[in-house]
Order: sequence, then structure tokens, then C-alpha cells
Amino acid sequence: MIQARELRVRAGTRTLLEGVNFDVREREFVAVLGPNGAGKTTLLRAIAGTGDFAGGTLRVGGRPIESLGANERARTIAYMASDDAFAENMCVRDVVAMGRYSFHHWWQWHEEPRDREAVDAALRAVGMELFADRAFPTLSTGERQRIWLALGLAQEAPLLLLDEPTSHLDIRVGHEILELLRHRVAAGKTVVCALHDLNEAAAYADRIMLLGCGRMLAFDPPELLLRSPLLEDAYGIPMEAVAAPSGILRVFPRVTNRRSRCSS
Amino acid sequence: MAARLAALALVALLAMLVGLLVGGVPLPLATVLAALAHPHTLGDAGTIVWAIRLPRVCVAATVGASLAISGALLQGMLRNPIVDPYLTGVSAGAAAAIAICVVLGVTLALLPAIGFAAGIATALVVAALARRGTGIDVNRLILAGISLSALFSAVIAIVLTRAQASGYASAILSWLAGSMAGRGWHELAFALPYALGGLLLALLAVPALNALRLGDTRAAAIGVDVDRAQWTILAAASLLTASAVSLSGMVGFVGLIVPHIARRVVGSDARRLIAASVLLGAALTVLADAAARTLFAPAELPVGVLLAFIGVPAFLYLYLRGGRQFA
Repeated sequence: MIQARELRVRAGTRTLLEGVNFDVREREFVAVLGPNGAGKTTLLRAIAGTGDFAGGTLRVGGRPIESLGANERARTIAYMASDDAFAENMCVRDVVAMGRYSFHHWWQWHEEPRDREAVDAALRAVGMELFADRAFPTLSTGERQRIWLALGLAQEAPLLLLDEPTSHLDIRVGHEILELLRHRVAAGKTVVCALHDLNEAAAYADRIMLLGCGRMLAFDPPELLLRSPLLEDAYGIPMEAVAAPSGILRVFPRVTNRRSRCSS
Repeated sequence: MAARLAALALVALLAMLVGLLVGGVPLPLATVLAALAHPHTLGDAGTIVWAIRLPRVCVAATVGASLAISGALLQGMLRNPIVDPYLTGVSAGAAAAIAICVVLGVTLALLPAIGFAAGIATALVVAALARRGTGIDVNRLILAGISLSALFSAVIAIVLTRAQASGYASAILSWLAGSMAGRGWHELAFALPYALGGLLLALLAVPALNALRLGDTRAAAIGVDVDRAQWTILAAASLLTASAVSLSGMVGFVGLIVPHIARRVVGSDARRLIAASVLLGAALTVLADAAARTLFAPAELPVGVLLAFIGVPAFLYLYLRGGRQFA
């Protein structure tokens, strides 16, 4: 689905990503991990075609990303940015219906039956069909996150890119969102998702891409990557991996001076 | 929503009718309607309606509608509710050029064309300064517009001090205050094609303008060519503003306040917002012009001054009462 070769992204004179090579297969759930500033958002923006890249090649669905026009790109890639700043007093349904933009010519100002079906299906998929007529600003953070996801689903693109979709969410809603993405993968989509929580990545991703200092450090299944010393190098903190009773690997920072900190 | 737009259309029609009814010579409604239906058969009444009042009402409607659409486009693109059409420097550039031409003794008939050309030239300079990569940097656009406007204001001030001695100051001031006195079919025929061009570009940009409500990043993600949309919107707003300025000079507050009222009535969906802005902008300006020429008849108030007197309290009322909408 995605092939990157010697990908390099720059902002002015600063190199944000360099020498990145990877392949993401179709129907795969890839989690992108790394400390703050590692280049996760930069990578997602490059794949989404909304950020400039300075060198290398990046192909999505077999085609160079720069050869896709704006509409074609939106029908191939649904990119959900992490930014939640949005104050417009629109109703939920109208926000999700924006996902159909790329299916319209400039003179088509009204929804077709096909658009209505796609918007209804997207709202159902995220469990928000009863909120269709609510004003968007009245929703909670978790509900808004689901609506952004529904907007992406309404695009009916085979590739979903999500930038920290579970940040600011409580543990239940966060896992519901990831569960939903897992279902989308089962339904044939490819998901690339930047996450901060290592254990969320371990529980839901097929493979984890680890970024550090603008480079790809590893791209492996969770059971391999979470035991790798590269993880400790990337985050600069000692880690320990423990298998939960369910068999899923869990990673924790190794806290050695807890008692002394509490007593001081 | 269709009912609300229909009501606004009715308001605009009634405003235009009021514009035809009021004036130096009292004409009853039946005479005005008869003159409209039979252009060449009613002698003086026909002449008053067709040669004086109707062109003036059409000029006022074109100015109001153009400024209102331009304001709605720029407020939407910049997602900034206190932006008005003069932000692009169009009016200041036009006013400075006109002030210089008045002092140089250029014939009055050429002023609309000169104002239009200078306005468009200024908009091009502002656009060049605001350009970053293939798109527009919103902050640069605002800074460039404000800076050039300040520069041209200084030019106007210098010209005005020189003009006082030579007696041209009143001609320049009437442009700065905004007025439709003496404008007719000839001026409208010059400006209307450009205004219609601007309207066409605005209609092209409507779907993108709607999507830009989500922010540039999300709009790009759903398939909007953000750079192209921004250039189209800026071109539309500049054409519309330059057309309005060439017709009436600097008529303030329509472009700022009408989009706000329109948003209150029909919501922020660009499809309805543009239609409502056209109708409300035309209605407000036609009524203001009718008041400007009758309140102190036979003397005329500059319509820009009258609109500021109405516009400032109305804007403050809306702002203080509905802060959330503006946030």
C-alpha cells in the first residue's frame, strides 16, 4: 500500500526525517511510535501528501504521492490530523459530510443519495448516528474524536492515516477507537496510526514503526520491537516488557528510584 | 432556510422599491410601477425613474452586494470575523490614485477606471507580498494589506494638504467618504462586468470555502486544493471590491457587518451565506443611499458616512450581545 525509499523531509534548513525506507502492506495496522519530535506527524503528513518532502520516493497504492491530484489523494488517503481546534457552529452530520468533498464537481453543491449513504454508514461505524443533528461544539472530546474518524471513513479511502487519535481520551474511549480501527482493517482498510501509548500499539498493531531523531529505528511486530533495546534508546529511559495473562506484551518504564523520591 | 432566503430576497426587492420612491420629486407608487413597466411612455416620471433613480438604485445594490460578498469570502478564508474587504489594500490604493489624479486635473469621467486599475494593482502587490511557496500566508496577507493601506493613507494626507490650496480637496473627500451622487448607467456598465467576474469566481470557490471552515489541514485532507482556493477567493474579493470602489468610493462597514448579519440569519454554510450576503448587502446599501439623499435634501450625505453611523452601533451591538459567534 505504501512504499517509502530514502525519504527525506526538511523544514527550511532543518532536516525532520532522513533515510526512511519501509513498505506497508494492504490490510495492515501499523502503529508509529517515537518520542516527541521524532517525526511521527511529519511522516504522516508526508504520506498524506499535505507536507513537502525534500527527497526520496513515496508511493501510495503504487503511484508516486506527488502525482495524485487533491481529489484523487483524498479518495486514496483519509488523513485525520491531531489538531482538534474547530469552533464553527456546524451540526455533526454536516461535518462528516465534508468527507464527500472529493466526490463532487465544483458545480455539485448538494448531496447525492450515495453521499448520504456513506455519511450514515460512517456515523453508524463510530456509533454516533444518534448525534447527527447535534451541534459539533457541544460534543465531548471523545465524541469529537469519533466524528473526525467518521469524516475520514466517509471519504471511503483504502488508507487511513491517524495522528494520535487517542490522545486526550479516557482509557475506555481510547480503546474503543482502536477497536474500531481494527474492525476497519478486518473490513479491508490499511491503517497507519501515530500513538504515544506503547501498550495500545502492542495490543492493536500488526507492526510498529519506531522513529527517533528523524530516523526510522525499527519496523517490527510488537513482540519483537517491545523487547528491543532500541526502544530504550529511542525514549532514553530503561524499560521492561512483561507478558500479560492474555499473552499481549506490556511495556513499562523501569522506575528504580521511586521510594527515594517519595521519601524526599 | 429556503424560506429565510426568500424573505431576504423580498427585503432586497422592497428596499429597491423604496430607493425608487424617494427623491427630490415625489412620485406615487403606481407611477413608479407604471414607469418601470412602460419605459418610454411616461414623460418626466419615466425619465426620473429610468435615467436617475433606477441606475442609482442598481449602483447602490451592486456596491452593497459586491462588498458584502467580498467580506464574506475574506472572513471565511482567513477565519477571522473582523476582516473587511478593504484589508487587501484595494480601496486605499484606489483612493490614493484618485486623489493624485484629481490634483493633476484628470477628467472626472476617467476616475472610476483609474480607481479600479489602481485597486487591482494594489491587490496584486499585496498578493505578491503575501505569497509563500505556491500558496498564501494568511498573516502576511493581513500585514501586507494593513501596511500598504497605511502607506496610501499617508499619500492621501499629503495630497489633501496640497489640494486644500488648489481647491480640489472636496472632490477627493467625496471619494473618501463614499457617495453614489451622479452615478448612472455609464459607470455601472463599466464596473458591472468586473463585479460579475468576481461573483463567478466566488461561486467557483463556494465548495472550497465551505470546506475551509474545517481549517487548512483538514480541508487539504478531504481534497481541497487549498492554494488554488485561496488565490481564487483573493481574486474574487479583489475584483468585487475594486468594482465597488470604482463606483462609489470608500463605502465602509457593509463588507464587515453584512456577512455577520447574514451568518446570524442563514448560518455559516457558504452556499447560503453568499446568497444572503448579496441580498442583505444590496438592501442595506440601497436603503442607506435613499436615506443619504433624502435626510437633508437637497443636500446629500455621503453614504459611507451614513453607513458608518448605522454600522458602528449595529456592529458593537452584535459583538457585545453575541460574543460567542465572533469568538
